[in-house]
Amino acid sequence: MEIFGYNLDEFLAWVGEDIDTVMMLIWILPVIIFVFYGQRIQLIISSNEIKKDIGKLDEYTTSTKKDFLNYVKTNLTYKSDPSKKLDSFFDYFTIMPVDMDPNGIISKINHLVRSREDFIRLQINTMFSNLSSVELSKLQNLLEIVTTLQLFHKYTRHLYLTAKKQKNFPLILPLQMMIPFIMEEAVALKDAMPAIKNGQPIGDGIGPMIVGEMMLGTTKESAAVETVWSKTIFEDRDLFLLKAEGPNATVGRPGDGLEKIISIKKPDLIIMIDASLKLEGEDSASIAKGFGAAIGGIGTERFKIEEIATNNQIPILALVVKQSIHEAITLMTKEIADSAKTVKDELYEMIRENTSSGQSVLVIGVGNTIGVSQ
Amino acid sequence: MSKSKNMISTCYTSMECNSCKFIKKRKFSDGDVVFSSNESCSECDGKMLITKIFGVIMD
Repeated sequence: MEIFGYNLDEFLAWVGEDIDTVMMLIWILPVIIFVFYGQRIQLIISSNEIKKDIGKLDEYTTSTKKDFLNYVKTNLTYKSDPSKKLDSFFDYFTIMPVDMDPNGIISKINHLVRSREDFIRLQINTMFSNLSSVELSKLQNLLEIVTTLQLFHKYTRHLYLTAKKQKNFPLILPLQMMIPFIMEEAVALKDAMPAIKNGQPIGDGIGPMIVGEMMLGTTKESAAVETVWSKTIFEDRDLFLLKAEGPNATVGRPGDGLEKIISIKKPDLIIMIDASLKLEGEDSASIAKGFGAAIGGIGTERFKIEEIATNNQIPILALVVKQSIHEAITLMTKEIADSAKTVKDELYEMIRENTSSGQSVLVIGVGNTIGVSQ
Repeated sequence: MSKSKNMISTCYTSMECNSCKFIKKRKFSDGDVVFSSNESCSECDGKMLITKIFGVIMD
């Protein structure tokens, strides 16, 4: 029997005599393939997974953008079609200050972030008529969601395409490591849209919710932009309460608020209540106590609070409610809402343990106060 | 409101009467804000204060 001019019978006879040679050939072939093409094969496998995630990011960006524009068109009164102008906002970027000489960088970042906030607020205000402060803050939040998702999509696509273009496998490794975290945040952002549109409280609002309840029946005064404070008494101690002004979708400016309260009376203790990202394995809505300023964000507010507390020698204690990124920015879960009573009991216990009669305490409810008034 | 295709979150508003402490839970409606009181108590003449707004996930 002949195949391609070779006698198969002769070949089989030879194999029978020297099976080791054939086995060696069978094993050596994949080794050769993997030596020369291993990286490329790995790149193909990894890039297929990443490509699927990039597709999802594109889908999230498109759907949230559409959702946002629909919300604006159906719920607000606009002077001219806002689509084009809003579309240009999605591409806005922020250039962080030079950090080669970090001295004074906090005030630069603070200025930059606030300028951006003021600019967006002003631009949105000029586009719509009879816009309430709640609606304005909701629009700012929705815009932030779409912009962040768009940035995620563009950035991951850039890394992916660069790696593919240059057939550079090591370049795709950092993306492969980062993409699960990016996707977790992207899903949370996408799912945050309905709660923001409906003005419903989110998990991050647990701090303002606790302080807001303590503010009921007190006289509220403005402490800073979108931030309110009030005073009450607890077991012969003065309690200063500070939170973002609800039910706006804002975190307020607790740093500036603290500055204002210090100018009225220096508290003996600061207690900050905030939502905190839980570690894997930790229970949602579990409560933890600690030291230091419990506040997230870019870091400028925390810096200000820490600086004021240090200059005035005021200890800072923290009470946090653990939750995932998804829980923190989407509709508040029942477990988190139910934890408010326990946190309040812990707070009063903390005040009793760390202060004596006649002293004063500042309680700051940190977080986005959407859907939570005071 | 949905975390995935199989999970739907329904939003509820929980309120408490400031006089008789009667607690009522209903589905969220537009304009509900925590610590606002727009409804009267069905048990007495008191005002119902919204104490919680939360989501319950159903598979």
